[in-house]
This record gives sequence, structure tokens and C-alpha cells, in this order.
Amino acid sequence: MGSQLIAQTCVNVLMLASMYIMVAMGFALILSVLDVLNFSHAAIYTVGGYICYQLTVVVGMNQWLALVASTISVGAFGLFLEKFCFRPFITDMNRIIVITLALIVILTAGINVTMGSYIKRIPSFVSGVVKVGGVSISGERLATFIIGMLLLTGIMIIIKKTRVGLQMLAIAQDMEAAALQGIRTHRIAAVTTFIGCALAGVAGSLMGAVLSLSPYMGDLMLVKAIEIVILGGIGSIGGVLVGGLVLGAIDAVLPLYVSGYATELVGLGIIIVFLLFRPQGLFGRDKVRLV
Amino acid sequence: MNGINLKKVTLPFILLCLFFLPAVIRSPYYFHTLNMTLIYIIAASSLRTIALSGQISIAHAAFMAVGAYVSAILAKYLGWSPWVTIPMGGIAGMLAGVLVGYPLVRVRAIYFSMVSLFSGMAIVALIGVCQTYTGGDAGLIGIPPLPAIDLPWLPKIVFVTSKVNQYYFFLLLTMACLFFLHRVETSRTGTNWSAISQSYLVASSVGINEAKYRVMALAVGCFFAGIAGACYAHYTMTLTSSTFGFLPSINLLIYVLVGGVGNFFGPVIGTAVLVIIPETFRWLKEYVPFIFGGIMLIVAFLMPQGISGLVTQIKERIHRNSKNGEVVHRA
Repeated sequence: MGSQLIAQTCVNVLMLASMYIMVAMGFALILSVLDVLNFSHAAIYTVGGYICYQLTVVVGMNQWLALVASTISVGAFGLFLEKFCFRPFITDMNRIIVITLALIVILTAGINVTMGSYIKRIPSFVSGVVKVGGVSISGERLATFIIGMLLLTGIMIIIKKTRVGLQMLAIAQDMEAAALQGIRTHRIAAVTTFIGCALAGVAGSLMGAVLSLSPYMGDLMLVKAIEIVILGGIGSIGGVLVGGLVLGAIDAVLPLYVSGYATELVGLGIIIVFLLFRPQGLFGRDKVRLV
Repeated sequence: MNGINLKKVTLPFILLCLFFLPAVIRSPYYFHTLNMTLIYIIAASSLRTIALSGQISIAHAAFMAVGAYVSAILAKYLGWSPWVTIPMGGIAGMLAGVLVGYPLVRVRAIYFSMVSLFSGMAIVALIGVCQTYTGGDAGLIGIPPLPAIDLPWLPKIVFVTSKVNQYYFFLLLTMACLFFLHRVETSRTGTNWSAISQSYLVASSVGINEAKYRVMALAVGCFFAGIAGACYAHYTMTLTSSTFGFLPSINLLIYVLVGGVGNFFGPVIGTAVLVIIPETFRWLKEYVPFIFGGIMLIVAFLMPQGISGLVTQIKERIHRNSKNGEVVHRA
């Protein structure tokens, strides 16, 4: 490999990883704080991308403003979801699964009807090429990675340092004990869903600019998010980061050596074999959950 | 109503209706829908059988794919009769189920679901890799259809030209599969499965071999998935791997959950409702998924036990209301 290829691959790994982590982080937060396996998370990611597309290309809004607007509206949808779809059924896993699966069907069909099933592309947020020490790197991919990094650092600070974040962690550990300590569990659940969905919205918009938008792009992302969360271990935030990096590396490097379905097969094979030896994932500590 | 056992009357009545359906409906298009429904009923019911042992598999369509491709390849390249290859497809599905299920015994609950999801996707990717035999993305075409049955003292039964004959075949097959699955469920094996699903620790403490019974549940379930897949292959005569990917597996799970996991006929009702109703609204074209999703939402919000639990739910409500009335009356 020439240095050009190595540099480009590194940027691709980091860019893909940061996008995967953003989606998986929201998924993991909702899973550990609300105990909800939100299958519709990736559909929300797709919706975020399409809202951004609609605002930039059709309405003609400033692109960065459109990104913020789509993030907030998707986050607001998350609030709606928490209030009307998760909260009433929190004890009944099967019903939540049916609801979230129904949301995938409805949101995907909604995009199909309103936007058409053709592949669309959001114009680049940052154009041009960055030259670092003789190798040129796509500025857009670098910018996407930097935005992802900044947001993730922000989220990490929120989770680890602020009151809200600590309350989230408390609820994730033990819902009832947290409620006994005076934490308003429903409010924290709402905040968590807002953050999770907003992150998915940002990732959708950025991916729509780097790659492309299609109504069915969520299916793949859902599988990736699940892979990352399981790989890293349920209930571990560091696990999501490492899992995302591993998966980003697999997805960015493997296509250089094998093609098409073989990529998928090798990637899935690695994960399956790993999980057979360590079912709780990299950093999953709670063996209780295995029951 | 109290004197009549509803179950004993309803089931034969519905079967009778299904047998005389061809006298009322003529259009082959309706029969196509019914045939697909019957094939998916076999698959969904076998998925429920696996779920009985506490394993929610999100890979069931992949096991259908194994049965479908094995049966189709044997019939197409080796020229075997589909009557032989369909059971072979079932056995192939079963073998795949055991191969995947044995290592998966290590993981439980949500982890099982997730690893099964990855295994299912790996199977579909494997089908894509073996392009020379499976046709890859382009699909496998020219699969032989169900051959005619030509018994000496009976009229010749042709399947290729008649959707109605195919309907009768699939109806009988589905009934046979459901009968078998019901027998397994009510047998000692079925009891052991539900014991494992309630608590694997308690189950193994009373001497139930957890690993054996969990693999067995997968073997039984995947056998019928393979049969359903093989039927699908010889019925539609073309196969593409995307028919059995992630979303079809999820769809099977939806059929089971919407119908209700708690009831044996849950998957039957769920499949029937979710295949036939969106199909009747076919003229809405791209709006059809809204009906599919709408049914799911209605079921999730209003029927906690799925559609099959509706009767019990209504009974309970009436019972409760009359009780409440009594209390008010006394006060």
C-alpha cells in the first residue's frame, strides 16, 4: 500500500467509525436507560438525513442550519416516541418490539412516498482536499470525522460529568433504586431518547453528504448498531467506542482485499466467533443480563 | 354459548371453509396469495416452536433460504424430483439449524437473538458468495415446478397449470406440519422447552439437558423452515437471496408477535392477517406498507396478547365489568 492509500484508509476508518458510534451510542443509551431495544433507531437516522436533504436542496436553507434543524426535529420525534410508544409499555418487551418494527415499516414507506425511492445526495458540507505531509485527504471526510468526534466528546462529558448524565447512569444501573433516590426517571428517559435520536439525525445528515441517501439505508445501519452494541457489551459506553472503531476498521479495510458478499461474510464471521468466546462482549460486565 | 366448546366447533368449521373455498373463489390471483400465506404459516409456526424454548431467533428466513436453495439446486442440476428434494430441503434446514444452534447454546435471551441475527445474515452472505450455483444477486431461475402426481387408479393431478391443485397441496402440507408441531408442543419435549424458557437454571436442576433441548427446538423449527423454503422455491420457480435477508426474518418475527406467541394458532392468524389484508389493498401501491404498519400498531396498542389473545381479552373485560357492576350494586 502506498502512503496515499494508507492515509485515505485511515480517514475512512475514522469517518465510518465516528458515524457508526454516533448511531450506536444513541441505540445503546436507549437500551440501557430505558431497557428498550429500539429497532426503529436506524429508521430515525434515515429520516434525519432526508429532513436535512429536504431543507438544503428543496427549501434552500443554509446547510449547517439545516443540519441543526434536522437534528432538533428528529430529537423532538424521539421525545414523542418516548412519551407515547415506550413509556406506556415499558414492562412489555414484545409490544415495544412490535411498535418499533411498525415504525420502521411506516417511516420507510413514508420516505418512499414523499421523497421517492431513488438515491439522493446532500451537497458536501466541506469541499476540497486537505494536504497533510504530501498526501491529500478528502476534506469532507475529515470534517465529518471531526464533527463526529466533537459531538461524541460533548456527549461523553454530558454523561460522565453533568447531573443529567449521572442520573442516566444511575437509572441504567438500577431503575427502582434511582427512582427511590428522587431521580425523575421519566424525564431522564425523555432526555436520553432526545439525545439518542438527535445523534442518529446528525449521523444521517452527514452520511447523506459523504455517501448517499436511500430509504433503505437504515436496515444496514441497524445491523451495524446492533453489532457494535453487542460487540462492545451492553451497558458499556467505552465498549460502544471500541466496538465502533473495530467495525469501522472491518468495513473500511476488508473491501481492499475481498469483494462484495465476501466482505460481509468475513466481517460477520469475525463477530460471531468473537461472541461465541465472549458472549458478554468486550466490556460487558453484567453476567446477570445473560439470564 | 356455554354449552358448546367453541374450539371444537370453530376449527373443523374453518377447515371445511378452506376446503370448499375453490368452489367460491375462481381467480388464480387469490389462490396465489393464499398459497404464499400457507407457506409463510409453516415458517412462522415453526419460528414460534423455537420461541417456545426461550430462543427468539431473528434468522428464520435464512433457514428457509437453506432449504430453498438446497432443494432448488438438487432439482435443477441433478434433476431429482421435487417430491424428493423438498424433504431434503427440510433436512438441510435442520442440519443448518443444528450447526448454528449448537455453538449458540452458550448465549441466551437477547444475546441469542442478536447472534442468531448475525448468523442468518452470514448464511445469506454465503449464498451470495457461492455465485456459481446460487446465481448470487441475479437469482436462480428455471427451478423445476411441482411435478404431476400420476397414480394408476386416480385422475392425474397436475400442479403446474392449476393454482387450485397447488392450493390443496399446500393446505394439506400446512395441516400436516401444524399437526406435527402441535404434537411436539404438547409432548414431554414441549414441556421441557417451556421449562427452559421460564428458567434455565430451574430446568437444569430438575435434570433437563438444556443444551440438548435447545438445539432440538432449533432442529425441529428449522426443519419446517427448510420445508417452507423448498416449497417456496418450487412454487415461485425463481430465487434471489434478498428474499431471505434481514427484513424477511424480521417479518416472520412480526407475524408471530402480532398473532400472539402465547397461542398455538397465533402465527397462523398473524400471517393470515398480515399477508392477506395488505394484499387486498394492493391497489394503494406504495401506500400498502402503511396498512401493514397500521395493523401492527393497532395490535401493539390494543391487544397485549396479540390477535389470538383477543377472545380471552374480551371475555376478561366482560367478566370484569359484570363484577364491577356487582360491587356498585352492593354499595
